[in-house]
Amino acid sequence: MLSNNQYFIKFLKLFYSLLIFSNLFGIDFDYNAAVTSSYGDNYDFYSYSENRLDLNLFLNDLHTWVQYEYSNPPEIGFPINDIRKFRIEYEKHNYSIKIGDIYEFWGRGLVLNQIDDQATNFDNGTRGIFLGYSNGRLSFNHINGKSDIWISGPDRLPIFQNSHSIVANMVQFNLKSAYLGLTHLHSNELHEFSSGDTHINHNLYGVHGFWAIQNIDMSFEYVDKRSMEKSLSLGANPHEPLKNGYGFYGNINLYLGDWGLSTEYKRYSFDKSETFFTSDDYGNRISFQLMPTLVREQNFSLLNRVAHQYNYNDERGFQFELNGALPFGYTIVSQYSHLSRNNEWNVINTPTDWSDQKIDNILPSSKESSLPYYESYNEISGYHLNDKLFFRLGYANNKEISELFRYFDGYQIDNISFWKYDTTIDSSFAEYDYYPEIIDSTFIESFSDSYKVESKSWQESKSMTIPFELTYSFDNGYSIGMSYEYQERKKMNVSKGNSDSFNYSDSTWALINPDNYDEYFEDNQSQIRDGRKTQFNRLVSLTLSKANKWSFSLSHDHTNAFIGGVQKDTYYNPIEALIYGDIKYFTGGREKGELPSFIQKRWLSMELSYNIGSSQRVSIMYGSIQGGLFCSNGVCRQIAPFNDGIKITYSAIF
Amino acid sequence: MNKIKIIINIIFGALLYAGNTGEGSLIPDLDLKLLNGETTTINQLLEDGPLLIDFWATWCKPCKKVMKHLDRYDMAYGDKGFKVLMINQDTPRSMGKVRSYIRSQKYQFLVGLDPNQKIAQKLNGMVMPTLILVDKDGLIQWRHQGYMPGEEVEIEDQIRSVLGLNDAIK
Repeated sequence: MLSNNQYFIKFLKLFYSLLIFSNLFGIDFDYNAAVTSSYGDNYDFYSYSENRLDLNLFLNDLHTWVQYEYSNPPEIGFPINDIRKFRIEYEKHNYSIKIGDIYEFWGRGLVLNQIDDQATNFDNGTRGIFLGYSNGRLSFNHINGKSDIWISGPDRLPIFQNSHSIVANMVQFNLKSAYLGLTHLHSNELHEFSSGDTHINHNLYGVHGFWAIQNIDMSFEYVDKRSMEKSLSLGANPHEPLKNGYGFYGNINLYLGDWGLSTEYKRYSFDKSETFFTSDDYGNRISFQLMPTLVREQNFSLLNRVAHQYNYNDERGFQFELNGALPFGYTIVSQYSHLSRNNEWNVINTPTDWSDQKIDNILPSSKESSLPYYESYNEISGYHLNDKLFFRLGYANNKEISELFRYFDGYQIDNISFWKYDTTIDSSFAEYDYYPEIIDSTFIESFSDSYKVESKSWQESKSMTIPFELTYSFDNGYSIGMSYEYQERKKMNVSKGNSDSFNYSDSTWALINPDNYDEYFEDNQSQIRDGRKTQFNRLVSLTLSKANKWSFSLSHDHTNAFIGGVQKDTYYNPIEALIYGDIKYFTGGREKGELPSFIQKRWLSMELSYNIGSSQRVSIMYGSIQGGLFCSNGVCRQIAPFNDGIKITYSAIF
Repeated sequence: MNKIKIIINIIFGALLYAGNTGEGSLIPDLDLKLLNGETTTINQLLEDGPLLIDFWATWCKPCKKVMKHLDRYDMAYGDKGFKVLMINQDTPRSMGKVRSYIRSQKYQFLVGLDPNQKIAQKLNGMVMPTLILVDKDGLIQWRHQGYMPGEEVEIEDQIRSVLGLNDAIK
């Protein structure tokens, strides 16, 4: 048996032989390649080594792509030393065939959107066959294959694997500025739980379209999804209906002069819950459905850390974004988004007895019981001084109800029934001078007047961020840049109403003041550590660069308190010591146990990038980076803190 | 031992390519879907003259900075058959805003759509921005990854060179 390494060496030898052969005999054979290598190691033993080589070979109508990876371990995911991906494509006239790892994208992704995202270790590609036909007016696609999709957990290694055997078809009618497509995807899924596996069968039917005229264009996609679960129980139906759902997305863009207004609406309803889903949920949206999220894709670090965690299964909303040109060459961007669940959730009877009520219009709800999310972003940017000075200033706000703990808003009648006792004297024994007391008990059933009870509790996050960026270019190719991001962030558990608890013994809501129904309270328990009500974050970066050669940047990240779990900052690096004048660090008197107060909750790092020619680039980062939420392509993951470490990245295209 | 062999092979491969760094190799004739709804191919775009391809997304900061210069070159050298093709890689998350952004900036260059990076993969444009300058015969004459302020001078030099305008801008 040959090892993976031996296979790869054989592959390289074959490739070099092909090169030499093609050169010798003048075969019209073209190729390109890309190499990406990254290495990281830090104080917390978070080390990784990733190496990828992408090779593309072109021979007339034939294209071959091979990706080899040697990662032990990668930054996230499993170690690999193998040909990771490959595909052979043949296109001739109106026909195309692909064999290998297939990545396709239809409509707006409500049925099928396949990506290989290394940053979040999410890969929903299919290994199989693709057949395509297109004559310009009509196109047809067919996919048949198997996808093994790993679902990431909080750590570096994925935790669940869901396998899908899929058959998917699309037919699309194309006009010059319009198209209409029909899609179907059938998947037999082996879904992995923490407690076992189950077989699920999914059928998705979709329609999508696009139409553009002079100053307006619009697109839409609708999908209907039905899932069945294979039942192994004796006597049960072999396939039990599991979940049905649908999704709709619409986009209308309007243009007037230098101004463009983008409006989007979505309504995804594949499953529902009063709180967030976990990876164990099944039968709802499948991993091929990567749909528009209707929140802004941010490129400032602090804004990424407060990104909304989308709910593809149960979310509706709209987004507006205005792009426009102002006098003096300035441009502005103004965006607003409002999302919520499709239902409002209330508890009935007991705090764990949730009941949902459908929102009775097409818009998102503002009630806390529908877990709403709001986001706005405004930005102005422009050039000055003969285009040498560039600036960008933003202002962002967001607010999210992330979880409901209890939500009761109704009426209650207290049972004030009681036993009435009457004492009478029994004189039937008077001749014995004995007069016993007889106690008669009567149950008096009585109720109070109906009164209003409000008992609500939820978790809420808010943030306000001001990002600013400035770059100045000199005539000699040098440029300097500064970026500053300021953020105020709150996270709290909110309780309000005239009741703060439920009395299970008599199944009533306990009023905070039983003598006064109208006494209400509101309590905000901050989830920020150290008793802080607001988290203040500041991120400063300074950059000096020489065009075509190198770039050097220094970043300083600071917070006043942590939120939730510990992102422990127990170590400080020489840059932090140098900047804060801690000479003892260099003379052997460094604080090794407890972090000095001046450096706590601060992360400093520096990065040098160097261009080796025009097609090769190496960058070296040294220092500490704060962890946090990172979202890409609708997939989010928590990035671990990187304490006092080094990262080296090399990339080249040939 | 095998790992050493792999590394030696990769270095050998890199050295093998180092002589031409892909420059001078023929660009494949790929199908393109344009933002205006039309479809075309790389070879059709090369019929009039050289082509500068750049990969970008609406959330990519350096991409937006270089676009302003590329649009200027597209207009300045358009009469010599030169074209700029900006291939957009926005995913469904943000692709609805691509038209609006391009219209508001009044950019004149061609915009192609590549939402799941099919074209980027074939041309190794996964890093954004990646610029590929192709001459009229379809030969790749220059590649460049990333953008730092000031590099627009080098970009214009390369465009002028491929157009045969040898008096490079200083």
